[in-house]
Amino acid sequence: MDSTGSNSSAEPARAARADIVVGLTSYNDARTIGAVVRAVEGGLSRYFESSAARIVLADARSADGTREAARAASSGALIEVDYPSPKAFAAVSYHGYPGRPAALRAILEAAQRLGARGCAVLDTALVSVTPEWIERLIGPVLTGGFDYVSPYFARRVNEGAITKGIVYPMFRALYGARLRQPAAAEFGCSARLVAHHLDQDFWDLEQAETGIDLWLAVAAACGEFRICEASLGARATSRDTPSDLSTTLAQVVGALFADVEHRVEIWQRTRKSIPVPVAGAVPEIAPAPVNVEGLIEAFRLGYRELRDIWTWVLPPRTIIELGRLVEMPPDRLRFDDRLWANIIYDFALGYSLRVLPQEHLLRSLTPLYSGWLASFVGQVDGAGLGEIEQRVEELCLGFEAEKRYLIARWRWPERLR
Amino acid sequence: MRRHANANDPLWYKDAVIYELPVKSFCDGNGDGIGDFRGLIEKLDYLENLGVTCLWLLPFFPSPLKDDGYDIADYTNVHPSYGTLEDFTKFLHAAHERGLRVAVELVLNHTSDQHPWFQRARSAAPGSPERDYYVWSDTDQKYKDARVIFPDGEESNWTWDPVAGAHYWHRFFHHQPDLNYDNPAVVREMLRVLDFWLDLGVDGFRLDAVPYLVEREGTSCENLSETHAVIGTIRAHVDAAGPGRMLLADANQLPADVRAYFGEGDECHMAYHFPVMPRMFMALHLEDRDPVVEVMERTPSIPETCQWALFLRNHDELTLETVTADERDYMYLAYSADQQGRLNAGIRRRLAPLVRNNRRRIELLNAILFSLPGTPVIYYGDEIGMGDNVYLGDRNGVRTPMHWNGDRNGGFSRADPPRLYSPVIMDAVYGYQAVNVEAQESDGASLLHWMRNMIRLRGLFRVFGRGSVEFLRPANRKVLAYVRSLEDDVVLCVANLSRTAQPAELDLTSFAGATPVEMLGYTEFPPITAAPYFLTLGPYGFYWFELQR
Repeated sequence: MDSTGSNSSAEPARAARADIVVGLTSYNDARTIGAVVRAVEGGLSRYFESSAARIVLADARSADGTREAARAASSGALIEVDYPSPKAFAAVSYHGYPGRPAALRAILEAAQRLGARGCAVLDTALVSVTPEWIERLIGPVLTGGFDYVSPYFARRVNEGAITKGIVYPMFRALYGARLRQPAAAEFGCSARLVAHHLDQDFWDLEQAETGIDLWLAVAAACGEFRICEASLGARATSRDTPSDLSTTLAQVVGALFADVEHRVEIWQRTRKSIPVPVAGAVPEIAPAPVNVEGLIEAFRLGYRELRDIWTWVLPPRTIIELGRLVEMPPDRLRFDDRLWANIIYDFALGYSLRVLPQEHLLRSLTPLYSGWLASFVGQVDGAGLGEIEQRVEELCLGFEAEKRYLIARWRWPERLR
Repeated sequence: MRRHANANDPLWYKDAVIYELPVKSFCDGNGDGIGDFRGLIEKLDYLENLGVTCLWLLPFFPSPLKDDGYDIADYTNVHPSYGTLEDFTKFLHAAHERGLRVAVELVLNHTSDQHPWFQRARSAAPGSPERDYYVWSDTDQKYKDARVIFPDGEESNWTWDPVAGAHYWHRFFHHQPDLNYDNPAVVREMLRVLDFWLDLGVDGFRLDAVPYLVEREGTSCENLSETHAVIGTIRAHVDAAGPGRMLLADANQLPADVRAYFGEGDECHMAYHFPVMPRMFMALHLEDRDPVVEVMERTPSIPETCQWALFLRNHDELTLETVTADERDYMYLAYSADQQGRLNAGIRRRLAPLVRNNRRRIELLNAILFSLPGTPVIYYGDEIGMGDNVYLGDRNGVRTPMHWNGDRNGGFSRADPPRLYSPVIMDAVYGYQAVNVEAQESDGASLLHWMRNMIRLRGLFRVFGRGSVEFLRPANRKVLAYVRSLEDDVVLCVANLSRTAQPAELDLTSFAGATPVEMLGYTEFPPITAAPYFLTLGPYGFYWFELQR
């Protein structure tokens, strides 16, 4: 592989063409980036030896020698791209990567300039990357005719629970694609989808800072693209989550709701969901115990303190049902799937109607989410991945069944206060 | 940065909901009793929240205001009562930030007699380029076949000017001399005016009184080919400035004549459909769909890139120029038995008083407005059911201050009430204490919320702005039914024009197998079969159905 070591964003235009581009997004990942680069190069040489490949590094101005570590680890296919500095935002993004939209755009632009047929993106804080990831993310594009490859990570019951309980069910019900982890930072895509992504109008939006990964998945799901999932095992990262639950929830769910608001014409015409094929076997992972007492207490406290705010978006029937749940003993606390779907849908509508400041509204969802998570954990505690997936599947069917409720409320909103 | 639908669509006007407002009437930001751009900026959140997508501003240019600003004395500035050019650019930027497009008036046909062009012309030598900016004659006997448009105010289209020692031509008031479009210098001047506002970022122009630009002996001096040539020149100029700018023709003519203002897609992008407006009111009062169906079926097809602008009410009288004499008499008896409400060939009332403040009728008319082929135009205040004052003279009774709340002056201005440019509506039924935005915001069942929901719902379906229309003919003529279609989207609209419940038996055999889903509540109705489809509609009730397969 050729060495460039350039730090010029114009460099890819002069570089040789590449069949494959693997984009790396980094930020103070000196400890881990070397292993990631080696794993990527290993994957490229093992599975795509006959294809010209480049690794494109988009570093967010790390101060710990991340770039140097990458160069040291690379055998020569590394291209470094610069991109505009991120603006200062009020909140730290949940993924801890400043300027992520600009970094991703720089990678996709480089892939387009290099004429890549397939492109994969990885975060260099990962400590679980193996060469097989490259094959799983790129292979379906180059040989299977797929345009978008979404990772499918094996997760314990409380890992990625916002995705399990909100993002995946709502994404699936609204956009019709059963992508289980649509907000993941890793993905693979075709040249056609790269062009489509670069043509989107959301790159410069402030909310893209936290929503870009999800929005790219939505853009793929809403277009005429072939989509699949790639089983990548567990996802482990060295980067600490810089935000608390409430902030993460507000950012992730806010990004989802913002996109829902923008794509009404599409999701109101999508009437069923379609399964997507999964490349690779999904490994079993050992269950881990979860302490739900704190979750239940947060739910009860929230009911006492935030019920008045909830009445701006939740109809009386829902408030009554929540009141009953609050009184339940912890071992019998169960959120009905219909109830949870309706709560999320009502929050999405309230977000769109701006009945309250959107940030306040989203943060008020936290205790409800805690209650739901306690209920969810209580139902699948100690279960294996298959049982968890089955329970999530039931929840998704609940979201799909209640989609009519969302559409009806969206089309003719009832002012509750 | 915000994200807006249709941001880059050059045909945005096909999906738009236009909101017409006079700056002077909307909100007074500096407390002098006259609405201004500062006040308007304060209310942009309200307009964005209402769901409208384009603001059409009535004239705000320097003017002696003898015709409410349509007598322009300077085309490239802002009347000091409404603010400054800087205020306008701030407003324009703030509107664009919210995804609201802005259309302004381009009064092509005439200027104020105070315009420097006219002052210069009347003193210039006959035959000189300056003199030729306007239409002069030694006699008032030329162009006798041209009608007088404002018979209540003018006896002739000619007025003697003692300074010039000649008669000058005016199709409207005598203080509004017509520009001479046979003079290429005039065309160049108007193109410079266009450039001025285009450069500022304006999205569209309403071409006022567009049929009257050119005069020829032996004709009505309306809709002449020479006039169309001028419009074609303007369109080419606008197109050359870049995509996404819209021209809206104000031609109060029959559809067949208005059709010409679209050209082959090379004149105006939009034109008002004047005749359908009075016929909607007529159909409602007659409880018979025929007036609407008949005029819509007589409406010629228009180029793909063009669009009709539909409205219920505007800043003028409810014009009856495009109906027959019998129909005009019927409309007067039905909607303005009181002579005070009549003006020129029309009725100077707002929507709510016209339908006697009947909420169901207001909703039904708006439902028809929003679902017929075209882009709806809402007149400010009609979204809350504002009333009018027929005793204010001319059309001023429908141009009173907007009602924002129940405070002094309806929240329109902090000025002492005598300083207001016009008294606010204060009667017991329509007064600002009873009818205002704040009160309706807090009432979930208010007309304002209903309008907001309807606008939002309409915005979800491009079929309303771009789809074809096919009228159905159920035996019961009190029921108006039509199908709108665009690609896979098919929407069935059914309206009961009667004050009593009505049955409808619809022939929907061509849609057999489809399931009607009522659009407001997303409720499935029984599937369509080869048999007649039965519906029952409540008084003034209406349905919009998606026909899903």
